[in-house]
Amino acid sequence: MPATLQEVRPCGPVTPAPARCTAEVRRASVPEVGGTDALLAARLGAGDDHALAEVFDRLAPVVYGAALRVLGENSAAQDVVQDVFVELWNRPDRYDPAAGSLRTYLIVLARHRAVDAVRSELRRIARQQRHYRLTPEQPHLSVCEEVTAAEAASVVRAAVRQLPEAQRRVVELAYFQGLTCREVALVADIPEGTAKSRLRLALAKLETVLDRELLEWS
Amino acid sequence: MTADTSQPMVVPAGLRERVLEASRQARAAGRTVPDVQEISPAEAFSRAADAFYGLLCALGDEDWPRPALRDLDVQGLVGHLIGVEEDVHRCLSGDPGVAEADHISSTRAAAARQAGRPPAATRTEWRSAAGRSLDLVSAAGDLEAEVAVHGMRLPLGALLVVRAFELWTHDNDIRRVAGLPASVPDPSTLRLMTELAARLLPYGATLTGLRQPVSLRLVLTGPGGGTWDVAVGERAGDPASVRIVTDAVGFCRLVANRVTAADLDLHVTGDPGRAAEVVAAVAALALD
Repeated sequence: MPATLQEVRPCGPVTPAPARCTAEVRRASVPEVGGTDALLAARLGAGDDHALAEVFDRLAPVVYGAALRVLGENSAAQDVVQDVFVELWNRPDRYDPAAGSLRTYLIVLARHRAVDAVRSELRRIARQQRHYRLTPEQPHLSVCEEVTAAEAASVVRAAVRQLPEAQRRVVELAYFQGLTCREVALVADIPEGTAKSRLRLALAKLETVLDRELLEWS
Repeated sequence: MTADTSQPMVVPAGLRERVLEASRQARAAGRTVPDVQEISPAEAFSRAADAFYGLLCALGDEDWPRPALRDLDVQGLVGHLIGVEEDVHRCLSGDPGVAEADHISSTRAAAARQAGRPPAATRTEWRSAAGRSLDLVSAAGDLEAEVAVHGMRLPLGALLVVRAFELWTHDNDIRRVAGLPASVPDPSTLRLMTELAARLLPYGATLTGLRQPVSLRLVLTGPGGGTWDVAVGERAGDPASVRIVTDAVGFCRLVANRVTAADLDLHVTGDPGRAAEVVAAVAALALD
């Protein structure tokens, strides 16, 4: 029978036998204990949704702040907050109290989700730019899309500048100018295979640098 | 700088409700993570019986005369369980005479007749009695059908969980006197036990009496646990809100009246006096 969060009643009318309870009734002394991260995690694991509300009330301001700092945009930051708390509720066992505080865990999770959102947005913009170059009539970006794109681009621009010259060049051609690999090879005057391998190396390095940058910001 | 120095920001209005709603839709409240596999009450009893028989087979001859519970040695305690199975047989055969029979005095003869017998004979008799119970349950079929035995009137499925609970409790009684480590039910069986205990809590309160009704949130942690909202006590008046958090196995030991609240890692919020009354009601569920 599934767990129920409803009024629980005895299985049926029960007639207690005199000796059913042989132990004398004791008034147990129960200490009142405040919540800790480990206790909150255990309550989340047991399906206590009140615990989730308590965690939200305590930590949502810093989770929201972490997401907003990366994304710079209210709506996307709210989406990240939702993702983070749904993740905590679905998989509370992924949080290890021995490894650190719940606050740190949620902030790091929020930053990772925010960075993922930035990357996703960059990929979308690159796809869109390639599409526009092949489409005669290009629709205008909305103001919101333009703002989001500008903010996302600024987050990675500094990281791109840290790449070696050869790698930085192929990234700029492929992502900022929207060229295909073959076009990048032609413009940079290198074999297409070299263009691809430089791009792979650059993206791998960019991901590492981008993660570190974002974590160090705060 | 460390990773947790994020600047707090004012959370936009409505975000809290949106997040909590999305979370509850993603996973229903009350269920544990990771979830346990559901099993039938008959399977739970069968597993408990297998575990108990395994323990009996592991005992040395010197363990059987050890004082175990009340005035019973280990062999007498197994005899008590043979008597319980015999009353269950009568119950499932439609004999109303066991409906109000006392759980202890009704089994006294079965316990007494074990004196002087070879332990293997007692062990074999118990195994045979438990097997017959399972055969009768299988023949009865409907686990929702109400049965009455030892002052309890409850669905057959619930009776089987009560029986699994008792076997596990006495398994640990014997382990304690034999110097063996305590056992823990498998999570699927434990889940049925905690569910039943939560449902029976209001009944426990009728045995001990509450000064005021309590709106209880019971949170049992670990595999086999869960979360329940239980209305305890029927007297008029606004219920006092109490939350009790403890681990599922410890709670079951409390239900079996084998530990006290002081022995548990018990986390209580709300009126401590009301919480203590609820804890007393939990321990009153013990069959012994």
